[in-house]
Amino acid sequence: MLKYSQERFVGIMLTALGLIVAAIYISLSYGVFDITFAEVVKTLFSQGNGEYDILIYQFRLPRIVIAGLVGAGLGVAGAVLQGVSRNGLADPGILGINAGAGLAIVVFMFFYQGKLAGTDWLSILAMPFFGLIGGLATSVLVYLLSWKNGRLDSQRFLLTGIALGSGFAALSLYITLKMDPTDFHTATVWSVGSLFHADWQYSISILPWFLFLLPIIFWKAHILDLFQLEESSVKSLGVSVGREQVILLLCSTGLVSACVSVSGSIGFVGLIVPHLAKSLTGIRHQQIIPLCAMLGMLLVIVADFIAKNIFAPAEVATGTIVSLIGVPYFIYLLFRSKA
Amino acid sequence: MDMSILRAEKLQAGYEQRTVFQNLNFSVKEGKITTIIGPNGCGKSTLLKTMGRILKQKSGTVFLYDQDLRNLSTREIAKKLTLLPQNPVGPKELTVEELITYGRFPHRNQGQKSSIADQKAIEWAMNITKTISFRQRELGSLSGGERQKVWLAMALAQETAILLLDEPTTYLDMVHQLEVLKIVQQLNRQRKCTIVMVLHDINHAARFSHEIVAMKEGHVIALGSPQEMITPEVLKQVFCIDARVMLDPRDGVPVCFSYDNLQTEKETVGGEE
Repeated sequence: MLKYSQERFVGIMLTALGLIVAAIYISLSYGVFDITFAEVVKTLFSQGNGEYDILIYQFRLPRIVIAGLVGAGLGVAGAVLQGVSRNGLADPGILGINAGAGLAIVVFMFFYQGKLAGTDWLSILAMPFFGLIGGLATSVLVYLLSWKNGRLDSQRFLLTGIALGSGFAALSLYITLKMDPTDFHTATVWSVGSLFHADWQYSISILPWFLFLLPIIFWKAHILDLFQLEESSVKSLGVSVGREQVILLLCSTGLVSACVSVSGSIGFVGLIVPHLAKSLTGIRHQQIIPLCAMLGMLLVIVADFIAKNIFAPAEVATGTIVSLIGVPYFIYLLFRSKA
Repeated sequence: MDMSILRAEKLQAGYEQRTVFQNLNFSVKEGKITTIIGPNGCGKSTLLKTMGRILKQKSGTVFLYDQDLRNLSTREIAKKLTLLPQNPVGPKELTVEELITYGRFPHRNQGQKSSIADQKAIEWAMNITKTISFRQRELGSLSGGERQKVWLAMALAQETAILLLDEPTTYLDMVHQLEVLKIVQQLNRQRKCTIVMVLHDINHAARFSHEIVAMKEGHVIALGSPQEMITPEVLKQVFCIDARVMLDPRDGVPVCFSYDNLQTEKETVGGEE
């Protein structure tokens, strides 16, 4: 049975990989200008005549890379948060981490008025950093406020997150209203989740967080398996429940904050991707976590492709498309769990 | 003085504002089966949980091999002591063997593959609990009795010298209750495990323990051998019942064969029964 599920897992991962490759190819070749398959391949392997270099290397590819990273980060973070809080409704958005990171970034934008258009490295690297601080502060606050009777109360965890999240979102809105028109526009587009500004610098600015945090999360995946038992069993097995929760919470917050800093607040990925992964592969986090990364990637790359092209040349925010895909799936989940 | 493997000193514990017991002293005898009995809400489970560091004490100290529990890492403790909670729950898709393997957590370094010692402990735990025949089944497909044995097997895979069992027989039928208690007895005899459990069935307590501890309203009010404890006097004191006790002619173990309320003592003598 175990062997069977291992094989099944490999199969699912390969399928997901195939779909991601297909999605990347489609995103690279279709758009305002269509490029043929041969040209895409030639350009990628530097065999082309340079005609499409700028289009592919400066516009389409960085955006796909960011979409993939953001999707993977949010998917994995969602799985971790659901595991830590033992609540299938936990999601970076619901827990207010998005809003907290968002607030910090809006504050940052506000004080850097007008300088945002510049591509100076400091400001680009500073954005994820501010997002991280905001996200971390929020999650620490939520965590502390959810502490009851010496343990993490998962009901309180969600409610505190929702409350703080709404508060921070309102505060962000207030600050954006005080901005000058260009910054206001940037901030608004950003707040619904957009990859419009994607470029290589952004992907490089968030990459360190991924390289640092993803291995820790993967290394701790078996702890998430134990968290599926009740707390007294977990403690009895010698798991320092509080400490492991903090580590995992910090890791997922780091990922979310980095993602939010480049893509704005894309909701639902962290909520639906773990559910989908669990329904495909079961309850073992060593399988769930990598699968969440793959499915998150796929979801956001596809959503971004739709966002770019559905009303081309006008763009829809990527976050809106994710929600449009996510909401029906979520409702389906609710109905299925009732039956 | 008896060697004490696990000892509570001036222990105070409870939940939020409510203190369940205070200034409680209790010492567990090494290599023995100790059963805690007492009415609901008397603090049996709370005592067990506090001694198993599941619940943090408000004051006082629990000593494990004469070391303060608070000075030991939870993983160190998990190598020496385990607690099986009342009605444990786990994901229904989890297989029996996977759950039992969790028991090896304290012995393993993170991310390390299972060692030969791990495999041996798991096989042993599955054999002694007779769960080996359904090792590949999922928790959701098991009966109550099977499930309880699987949880017990997980605790056993931890290979601890001390086992704390919180009502291990609750919700089981007669045969499964007996089966679980026999496993406990076998562990004590073969592996010299020290066992502390909470039971509601007085006759099981009498038959399977070396020492019985009676608690009432947060106090240990009596302790001793089954012969000393399962008597009309003690049971009256602990449960406020009028118990009729005799010794099993086969082995001299006290048996409570019927009981009644104290208040109606006079009316029912020779009455309905």
